[in-house]
Amino acid sequence: MNAPNRSELFVLEDGEKAVEIIEDTKIPNAATIKVVKQDHTLANMLRSQLLATPSVLFAGYKVPHPLQPYFILKIQTDGTITPADVLQQACSKLIGTLTALEAKFKREFSFKDVEGAVVSEDPYGGPSTGGPTWAGGRDYLDF
Amino acid sequence: MQANAELEPSVHIRELKKDRVNFVLENVDLAFANSLRRVMMADLPTVAIDTVEVVSNTTVLPDEFIAHRLGMIPLVSANCDEAIRETRECTCDTACEYCAIPLSLNVACHDSRTLDITSNHLQYDPSVFNPQQESGAEGEELTKRVDNFGHPVGKNDPSLPPVLIAKIRKGQELKVRCLAKRGLAKEHAKWSPCSAVAFEYDPHNKLRHTTYWYETDPRAEWPLSDNAREEEPPRDDEPFDFNAKPQRFYFEVETDGSLGPQEVVMKVSKHPSASCHCAESLEFINM
Repeated sequence: MNAPNRSELFVLEDGEKAVEIIEDTKIPNAATIKVVKQDHTLANMLRSQLLATPSVLFAGYKVPHPLQPYFILKIQTDGTITPADVLQQACSKLIGTLTALEAKFKREFSFKDVEGAVVSEDPYGGPSTGGPTWAGGRDYLDF
Repeated sequence: MQANAELEPSVHIRELKKDRVNFVLENVDLAFANSLRRVMMADLPTVAIDTVEVVSNTTVLPDEFIAHRLGMIPLVSANCDEAIRETRECTCDTACEYCAIPLSLNVACHDSRTLDITSNHLQYDPSVFNPQQESGAEGEELTKRVDNFGHPVGKNDPSLPPVLIAKIRKGQELKVRCLAKRGLAKEHAKWSPCSAVAFEYDPHNKLRHTTYWYETDPRAEWPLSDNAREEEPPRDDEPFDFNAKPQRFYFEVETDGSLGPQEVVMKVSKHPSASCHCAESLEFINM
């Protein structure tokens, strides 16, 4: 079996840098960014956030091979800002969105508690109402 | 997308149950919503049985079969980020109380009947650890655990039927020693806290992101989902808006019980790896 160890998909190796920026020599204000140990989850989110920035002329990403755990992000800007800076901006915007989302979720969950939809709280944060039960304590394996 | 950029995301929880949450997400773009879904499914740590030592197995099922079934049993993983460390990051030799949960199973049938071995037979058993082995560096992990951390979900809860592992008859027995470890679903799906994540947008297909196959009339042949009631149906004289972006995303997150639905959703926004990781690395480079 020559499949790579699956933990290599998300664990940085010793001394490995998470992000590497390669400036483009032929296209002005462009850079190729290699992000290691990340996949479409981050890449696609970043790409769409970059495209929403007016100073970005081009942003695109690819995962060159599904067995190699990295992606390549290409950015070209209009020259008012460097690709590295615009990427950093995009990241902090995304973090901002995530923080706002967390606050919204917290609020919504607290309403749900007040509304009495929750009888009591499990140790693992779930409210204990309903839940799947098979009739008579048997399940689908008991034909 | 650009109109969305200035708006804060908004969330409306439609239903919250013990094992599932149904919510509507607005004012984010498709890529963001999809990343949210991907993180919930594959990037949140839980604990699951990872190594199984078979002491005795005289059941009809082979060892590998039972080991696989044991791995799939959901274990209580509340606050997994702080309550247990990754074995590969622990300084111990193979496994210790900070990076593994010892569980054992010892069932024999002595009566003339079929006995079900279920997840309720799994016992917390520190003797699984090798006593000569040193444990890893001291940590606060043990104090952050709930009482039943690492125990099978629904153990001793009569309202939840246990997970069946094997059935044995008179004279058969199963004795195994297991170590449950922390992991991510990127490595093996047994570590996923979610059993299903439903994700839908644009139930009327106004954006034409999909093409329906049909005999005569797609509207008659393709039933609408319940989410379609929340959106206005398209008028026949409406021109196609090719600039439109998906606005509302309908989620239903169903967990296997290892984490509560509330914890799954809240963890996503705290998820460290994604963008924060990238931003930190960038700052490092720019310096």
